[in-house]
Amino acid sequence: MSKKKPCFLFALLCISLLLGGKVLSQEAPSASPAPSAERLILVQATMCASLKEGNPCNPGAVFPVSQGKVLCFSSFDPVPRKTIIYHSWFHRDVLITRQKFTLTPPRWSSYSTIQLREADKGPWRVEITDQDARILEVLRFSITD
Amino acid sequence: MDHLFYFFREVRWQDLLDIALNSYILFRLYVLFRGTSAFRVLVGIAIFWISHKLALSLGLVVTSWVIQGITLVAAVIIVVIFRNEIRSVLQAKNLKSILWGFPRGAEEAPAENVAEALFELAQSGNGALLILPGKEDLSEAVHSGIPWQGLVSKEMIMTVFWRDNPVHDGAAVVRGRQVDEVGVILPLSHRDDLPSSYGTRHRAALGLAERTDALILVVSEERGTVSAAKSSQLWEIKNKEELLEIIEKHVGATISWGRTRKDKLELGLAAVLSVFLIIAVWSTFTRGVDTLVSMDIPVEYMNRPPEMEILDTSVNAVRLEISGSGALLRRIQPEQVSVKLDLSKGVPGSNPFTMTPESVSLPPGVLLKDVKPPVVEVTLDRTVKKDLPIQVDWVGKLQEPYVIAQVKIDPPRVQVSGSARVLSGISAIYTEKVSVDHLNRSGTLSAKLVPSHASLKLAQDKVTIEYTVKERTP
Repeated sequence: MSKKKPCFLFALLCISLLLGGKVLSQEAPSASPAPSAERLILVQATMCASLKEGNPCNPGAVFPVSQGKVLCFSSFDPVPRKTIIYHSWFHRDVLITRQKFTLTPPRWSSYSTIQLREADKGPWRVEITDQDARILEVLRFSITD
Repeated sequence: MDHLFYFFREVRWQDLLDIALNSYILFRLYVLFRGTSAFRVLVGIAIFWISHKLALSLGLVVTSWVIQGITLVAAVIIVVIFRNEIRSVLQAKNLKSILWGFPRGAEEAPAENVAEALFELAQSGNGALLILPGKEDLSEAVHSGIPWQGLVSKEMIMTVFWRDNPVHDGAAVVRGRQVDEVGVILPLSHRDDLPSSYGTRHRAALGLAERTDALILVVSEERGTVSAAKSSQLWEIKNKEELLEIIEKHVGATISWGRTRKDKLELGLAAVLSVFLIIAVWSTFTRGVDTLVSMDIPVEYMNRPPEMEILDTSVNAVRLEISGSGALLRRIQPEQVSVKLDLSKGVPGSNPFTMTPESVSLPPGVLLKDVKPPVVEVTLDRTVKKDLPIQVDWVGKLQEPYVIAQVKIDPPRVQVSGSARVLSGISAIYTEKVSVDHLNRSGTLSAKLVPSHASLKLAQDKVTIEYTVKERTP
């Protein structure tokens, strides 16, 4: 995963539909259209306990339920054109929530989150997919005591 | 009428063999014991048994109970009282005659010629040993006979036993009108109560009489007397008339043809009666439909196509309602009953299989009345292989200052084979539960893989987990 670039600005904070996940994005100062050959590139995707100054804090694979929430952070650079991505959260193989994000050029970062309950203990995965349902990344983690 | 039709429709080849075998055994018992006192008692017991069944069917409770008691006691008594007779019948016969030997009718012999010849030999001081076979085969009891096959006449018999004749010491066998064999060696009797005047010829005569039903005639060389041995007894014969009477009684010479025919009729009738009796017994025992029971029997799914998996079944066991005689149903063992479903024609998806009598295996004589449920749904699916990622199933409580920052699994994926439908809903294979309680530094550990469905097969069952532990930043 690449490092987050310092020039990002967080432009949009979205409230997730089902579990209160939030989306943090950085709007580009000028939305110039990207060349058609340029592809959307996921530069960073990680599970973390929180964000600090827009960066994932304590990324990991195991999170205690007492922590209260867990975040899936994803960062794209470049974003050639306005597009949609999804964060799909699975507890074992059951889809729990899917959060939709609209990415706008030239770069974008976003995160989704879920509130943790006792019943959420166990293995999880988050699939980051594009608007064509192509899987860009799968992040695996566990919720423990 | 319906019962009769049902009876014949349900008869299997095993039943026919069963009846045939037991009819033959009954018939052989008749052949072996007929004419004996034991046989008459056996007939009496059979009558008692039939009476018991009759009384039972008429609802005569006490009568049937009493008759049953008498029958049981009589069966024991017959063995005790007639043990000697039973033993002599069985000992006197060889295996062939017990199993399939057919009794021959006593053979006609020219009694007058024999009687005259023997008394003339006695007067002339020549010894003789003459065998008139009965219905039993002698081949097991005698040895070393020389074929003679001369027509019986007084002169012929005297020639055989003339002291200068090389074969005069052995016995001669007279069958029908022929001297069949000469120089025959007989088994000696071991009895110690015989008079000292009896020589080897007498002991030989008695030896054969103890083993077979033949009549053996002895002429004493020393004393010039004629004796007869039969049924373990030896006695002296005073005159020719007495001997003639004994021979005729033995072979039934005057009515021999008629008697043979009567024998055949008697045996034929006995054979037919044996068959009917056994059918009656067999029907009573196996075709009584007075009892109905239910049994829960697990279903065995057979002949599953190798490329298919059983995903689900609507039931694991079916309830059978079976009927038959109480005696049969009381003895029935669960392993004697099976329910098998043939899956060879199954297709992917849900397959309804109707339970048929062919699906159910029951012991002979037990009838299937109903199966619940009548239809069993079996869900089959094709077997496929899928390469799936492996994920660690962490549990426990990680110590506060630490965080598991990174996890690497070796190998990261595993090949899984199983039902296409099951595998379509699975995106990862999880390890067994791995505790994080004591993880405070990076390291490796190994863990088993746990398939989420019992039907899944994994290419390997263990992985190595490399984990990185870092201190949590505030």
